[in-house]
Amino acid sequence: MKRRSFLAHAGALAGSAALGQLGVIAARAATTADYKALVCVFLYGGNDTNNMLVPIDTAGYANYAKLRSTIALPQAQLLPLAVSGSTPAYGLHPALPGHQSLWNSGSLAIVANVGTLVQPLTKAEYLLTTTVKPESLFSHIDQQHQWQASISSTSSSNTGWGGRLSDQLASLNVNASVPPMISTGGNNLFVTGAASQALVIPTSGSFGLSGYSSSSADAARRSALAQLLNIDQQADLVAAAENVMTGALASSAILNPILSTTDSTLTARFGGLTSNFAKQMLAIAKVIEARGTLGASRQVFLATLGSFDTHTDEVNRQQSLLAELDAGMTAFHGAMADIGAGSSVTSFTLSDFSRTLLPNTGGGTDHAWGSHHMVIGDAVKGGQIYGAMPTLALGGPDDEGEEGRWIPTIAVDQYAATLAAWFGADATTLATVLPNLASFSPNTLAFV
Amino acid sequence: MLAISALFSACGGGGGSDGSASAPTAPIVPLATANDAARLLDQATFGVTASDLAHAQSIGISAYLNEQFAAPATQYTGYTYTPHTAPADCVTDTATPTDASSLCARDQYSPFQVQRDFFTHALNNPDQLRQRVAYALSQIFVVSSVEIYEAYGLAAYQNLLLSDAFGNFRALLQDVTLSPVMGHYLDMVDNDKPNPVNGTTPNENYAREVLQLFSIGLYQLNADGTQQLDSTGAPIPTYAQATIEGFSSVFTGWTYPALPGANSTWANPVNFNGTMVAFADHHDDTDPKPLLNGYTVPPNQTPEQDLTNALDNIFNHPNVGPFIGKQLIQHLVTSNPSPAYVARVAAVFANDGTGVRGNLAAVVRAILTDTEARGDQPAGNGFGRLREPALFITATLRSLGGQSDGVYLRGASSNMGQPIFSPETVFNFYPPSYQIPGTQTLAPEFGIDNAATALARANFINTVIMQSGAAADPTVTGSTGTSISLAPFASTTEPAALIAQLNQVLMHGSLAADASNVMLGALQAVTSTDPTAPARVASYLILSSGQYQVER
Repeated sequence: MKRRSFLAHAGALAGSAALGQLGVIAARAATTADYKALVCVFLYGGNDTNNMLVPIDTAGYANYAKLRSTIALPQAQLLPLAVSGSTPAYGLHPALPGHQSLWNSGSLAIVANVGTLVQPLTKAEYLLTTTVKPESLFSHIDQQHQWQASISSTSSSNTGWGGRLSDQLASLNVNASVPPMISTGGNNLFVTGAASQALVIPTSGSFGLSGYSSSSADAARRSALAQLLNIDQQADLVAAAENVMTGALASSAILNPILSTTDSTLTARFGGLTSNFAKQMLAIAKVIEARGTLGASRQVFLATLGSFDTHTDEVNRQQSLLAELDAGMTAFHGAMADIGAGSSVTSFTLSDFSRTLLPNTGGGTDHAWGSHHMVIGDAVKGGQIYGAMPTLALGGPDDEGEEGRWIPTIAVDQYAATLAAWFGADATTLATVLPNLASFSPNTLAFV
Repeated sequence: MLAISALFSACGGGGGSDGSASAPTAPIVPLATANDAARLLDQATFGVTASDLAHAQSIGISAYLNEQFAAPATQYTGYTYTPHTAPADCVTDTATPTDASSLCARDQYSPFQVQRDFFTHALNNPDQLRQRVAYALSQIFVVSSVEIYEAYGLAAYQNLLLSDAFGNFRALLQDVTLSPVMGHYLDMVDNDKPNPVNGTTPNENYAREVLQLFSIGLYQLNADGTQQLDSTGAPIPTYAQATIEGFSSVFTGWTYPALPGANSTWANPVNFNGTMVAFADHHDDTDPKPLLNGYTVPPNQTPEQDLTNALDNIFNHPNVGPFIGKQLIQHLVTSNPSPAYVARVAAVFANDGTGVRGNLAAVVRAILTDTEARGDQPAGNGFGRLREPALFITATLRSLGGQSDGVYLRGASSNMGQPIFSPETVFNFYPPSYQIPGTQTLAPEFGIDNAATALARANFINTVIMQSGAAADPTVTGSTGTSISLAPFASTTEPAALIAQLNQVLMHGSLAADASNVMLGALQAVTSTDPTAPARVASYLILSSGQYQVER
């Protein structure tokens, strides 16, 4: 009667979780000594990193200001990124003072000009029609997909690199009582593996099934609901819906007390922050705080922040978005330190693409390609920019055309591999998780 | 699926007699069974009611569709212009609704009232099919309250979609393109010609999305919606960056319509009533503009001439029929239509039987009368679609004698991942290409089905079925709250008979036999003396089950 796709794994995991609650909790108490978490922050819409990281020296700024004309940030507002023994060459967007502090304390690294690639590309190679390039460059949904998949073909990938990494390290999570991947940003390819997918948790309200008392009538209704969720009439979509609900029932019973606690030592770190993004980071922090009872040794999280598609009015819009990011990430990093997880948790940004250096006539920018990314944590070798900053010139050596779309010099695969290696993936695992990694050298960078 | 497809070979190109919406002699296609009629109503309305079911069965599908095509169109009424910047005293103070400004922010500068109207229209208004199609179109031609926060703007745009739902696609494409709401959302409004002093160039936003999302998609398609592949097996892009730049130049020189009584000047203030107006001196007319399929717009044309050329260029691209047709099938009938089904619908898009391309009523008729959609059983294990939150909500209420002012429903839909007319991006709540993880099964609505939203679905059913619904909201004029009526089931005291009755009402008799057995146990444990208590338990269980939530 029952036809199950791979999602049965989620059900099986949830089932074992229920057993675990009954009597096996003690067996997983000792697992947190070896704990690591990766926290992906996806900036939806394409964050304009040409205004996130800006040349601050006299000549560099003058060139930037000329080319960015209507949307150039004032030089005096940029937050210098100090480098010991030399004059700062770059400044951060003025909405990122928390990130500047993290840079100064060595917990923020920036990785320059990362992007989707099938193979390393010089400009000359890019201009050849015979060179293999990522599918559907400059398209939101495709570039989001390819960043999340670390495979530069939308049509040939239906898992994400976070998901595949989690699949490969499943042996470290055998004692986990809830799925080791958790999303506060909805369903997402990044946290979809071949054998597992993320549990999506809410950032407000209760996470559980309402309407049940301890009466025998309610017990019978609850039992019937559970049994109904096992009858799918051999229909694919029915089975899929039932799997989602069955997993929700099992995981919410464990996580709701953790998420709804208000006496968490973390709450103060997020005091006064009301944005949805801050709520996401607080929820993730609470789950990490409970790592000892949840039993996973390797957790992958996903949070999202949207509306970076600044085709108009970019200066104001990006200011408020980056301010939200800055407040949420600063609170989160502080919270991790508070609970002794500062070196065990590494967070990092992904985004569709950067945006054209050349502004459009509406005070905004259009879809581009290579972008800069921020990696935060006490395990991070911070205070440095990794990789080469692109030459800010229209039609210049890094521009694929005439509007300032940077041909990436670091592949998503290398960025992902560096994080995955820190997470515990050996060379063999990396090759499995990132099937195109061998096309790029070195495989990993040194930022964490 | 293969066996079913083989049966269709007799249907030929699909441009046959029942493709024409207005043909006076449309053949009577019988609805063979009550179950088939109920399945049709699941696909064509916001939920099966007993009276609709009896009516559709008595007059047959062809007459039913003709009635629906002819029914007066629902419109959002009572919304008036408000300035883009809200007055300083515009707040939402539900504690003391003492004057007009108390609820100004909620009622004028948020989607609250439009979302409420969406539900009351869907529950009550007779033009069910038009509303269903308009709701599908609103998820293809997306605008969102994330940027269009004025209620009157959202209402104006939905009225456009309701008016155009059964018209021609070319007219819909033009009306959407020149809507100041869309103009504001995707930045065609005030899109200026290049500025040589600043070095700035036209905004590419609308140019890109009108192609990618509203008409042809990224890749060349076959007539059955499958991708064409090149000699290396790779999909073939429909356009290049140069095409985007060509269209972005076409879409310059348009601003908001002037406010009543005001002079019209370049960069009129924000106004969502009417259509955008052109200013030739802000139009990029200097260079030839490369568009699709090798066509180039010549220089020195007016904004209107460029627009006509460009929209014709898009409309006549062979992708439009399969690209739009497949998505409409997914919104109305099934997530995984066979290529043959898509091809039959696309053929009607290409020619409605009278030589007209883009007749949307004919396309909708072709979708709903197709052999793959009809019958008293679903066409295979893969058939069906997850009821998206809005439709899950409305179907529940309509089938169980429900009424609502929409206040509770709009929040419930948001909790389930579908805030009406407020998706986060132009890519809608979910992409048409979303697959059940780990499979190749298309399932767009599963893009928002997860642990958090699945529990929200069950908790909605708990509120409306097990609790007494939602109370009236004293801050909303005419508020009635939300409730259903299980009284018609109170007299059925025998549990098996009650289950059978609800199975017919909610699931057109398709509940699995072993599901009925499981439910018997829960009904036998009911101790309440409330005569509707058994019906509550039975309907709670059915509505919470995967079998109900996936419409088949």
